[in-house]
Amino acid sequence: METPAPVLRLSERREPPPWLIFVLTAALLAGLAPVCDGLLGARNLTNLCGNLAPLFILATAQALVLISGGIELSLTSIMAVASVAGAAVMRTGAPAAAGVIVMLGAGAVIGGLNGCIIARLRLPPFMVTLISMMFFAGAAVWATESKNISGIASAFLPLGKLLPAAAGMALAAGVIVHVLLKHTMWGRSLRAVGYNPCAAGFAGLRTGSTVATTYVLSGALAGLAAVIYTARLETGSPVLGQRMMLDVVGAAVIGGISLAGGRGQVWQALGGALFFTVLDNALNLMGLSHFRIMMAKGAVILAAAALDARRTLR
Amino acid sequence: MNRLLTHAPLLLLVLTWTVLGIMQPAFLSGESLLNLLRQSASPIVAATGMTVVLIIGGVDLSLGAAMFLAAALAGKMAAAGQPMISCAIVMLAAGAAFGALNAAAVTLLRLPAFVVTLAMLFLGRGLALEITKTRAINLPEEFLDLGRPAVAIPLAALAVILVQMMLSGMAAGRHLFAFGQNPVAVKNSGISTERLTFLTFVVCGICAGLAALLTLGQLGTVSPKFGETREFTAIAAAALGGSSLFGGRGSVFPGTVVGALLMQSIESGLVMLNANPYAYPMWISAVLLAAVLLDSLRIRRVR
Repeated sequence: METPAPVLRLSERREPPPWLIFVLTAALLAGLAPVCDGLLGARNLTNLCGNLAPLFILATAQALVLISGGIELSLTSIMAVASVAGAAVMRTGAPAAAGVIVMLGAGAVIGGLNGCIIARLRLPPFMVTLISMMFFAGAAVWATESKNISGIASAFLPLGKLLPAAAGMALAAGVIVHVLLKHTMWGRSLRAVGYNPCAAGFAGLRTGSTVATTYVLSGALAGLAAVIYTARLETGSPVLGQRMMLDVVGAAVIGGISLAGGRGQVWQALGGALFFTVLDNALNLMGLSHFRIMMAKGAVILAAAALDARRTLR
Repeated sequence: MNRLLTHAPLLLLVLTWTVLGIMQPAFLSGESLLNLLRQSASPIVAATGMTVVLIIGGVDLSLGAAMFLAAALAGKMAAAGQPMISCAIVMLAAGAAFGALNAAAVTLLRLPAFVVTLAMLFLGRGLALEITKTRAINLPEEFLDLGRPAVAIPLAALAVILVQMMLSGMAAGRHLFAFGQNPVAVKNSGISTERLTFLTFVVCGICAGLAALLTLGQLGTVSPKFGETREFTAIAAAALGGSSLFGGRGSVFPGTVVGALLMQSIESGLVMLNANPYAYPMWISAVLLAAVLLDSLRIRRVR
């Protein structure tokens, strides 16, 4: 019988170097620029940043949950409900600020629901968030009878349409989550719980509330992303982001966040979202059909995961 | 109490039928039940394939994409005048090949099934959309023959019987359960985990091809949305039937079959009750949650 593989200490595990994903993105840009007209032009780069901001927020939300050892399949449904709720509130004449609060709040509440069911009832996150996704996607469509909600406060629109506003919100979210993860007890507990829930429990960490609050934060971030998308669409849409879920998970995987939990950082979410956005943007500019872009995304996810698997000892 | 919980899926099914029967007696009529079985054929087969993957502790997110790919190929062949039987064979073969690719990536690249099948979902749907040029393909009338209860139900039953026989009657089946519960032990026992993985995903792929065939029998057309979200309904049906998402536990009959029937019953029942169609997903989700809850209670008691 072969000797079992040596168990490495957490610090000795070979992590991909932080700059790798960004180098890869730069390489992608450089490689595609010659064949892709206007890729590096100011107009396109603005577009790119605009697309990056909400995806980064969603990828961060997903990363948080992945670090806790779970998964969030209902992020897009949360966005839909938040979008519809916020738009409905603003339609009655409430100011933009109220819309933002409602969207964030709706996200936090649904996230909290997920988190409580997962933490208290100890049901598997995959199933719970899958059911949640189905339920809230259906709820959004049911509540609006599949119609968009117009009447958004005009002060709300710049939040999505003005690049500095959207980028600013994304940046703020990223910084806040980074600080929470690295410099607070909560963040350290989160990583411990994700890495080894049993040991974390024995060590006296409050696994239940840590996990639950993670989902609350994740949901609120989804609400923030909904703010940006809703402002861009100028309506509350019950099907917001319906197709995006796989992109979000893909971005997290590409960024190198482990599906097993316990490890992950905000810059990984940024790297993954950035790479994904650049890929999408460049392939679109090159005129590739929608389905070829899909296939390219699939191939990239496989390659990124394979590279990552090579690096960490299994 | 434990006995009760073990049979929770079946009890839920009986409960659902009773409630629906009271609210709408027509639901329990022979014609309606036959229709229910006919419509459940494809979901049952898809969920059967998914069950096998769940048993080894994996998941196949590309099931719907495999279905779409198989249907797209059949559509192209049928449009070119090929007979239905060749189309059917190609569909099953395409499903098997797709499954083999999944297995190859899992074993050779040593990636988690979640990531591999996620990527294959993108690849598969993209390829299928390319083949159909994102246009819907209408299939010749004869395909609708497959949708008749006399054909669809026996086909689904055959798949269920074969897979259940493999799981409970063959050594490979026992190895699958062991693999799901303790992969390291299985490997150290000298059993080839690569072969088990290939078996699992190929079986799932063939089920996907068959499920696509049955769906074609019902719809008669391949739209760009063919097979979308089917992997999630398959997972739900398998979970409803008692398969654990962590692996090592599950049964096709009665488990998954009951789960798929339950989901289809709710949907058909809601249609008969003239319920607000927008509310369907909410009802189904509620029942799913109840089922998952009951299942977790059962595990808790065993410990």
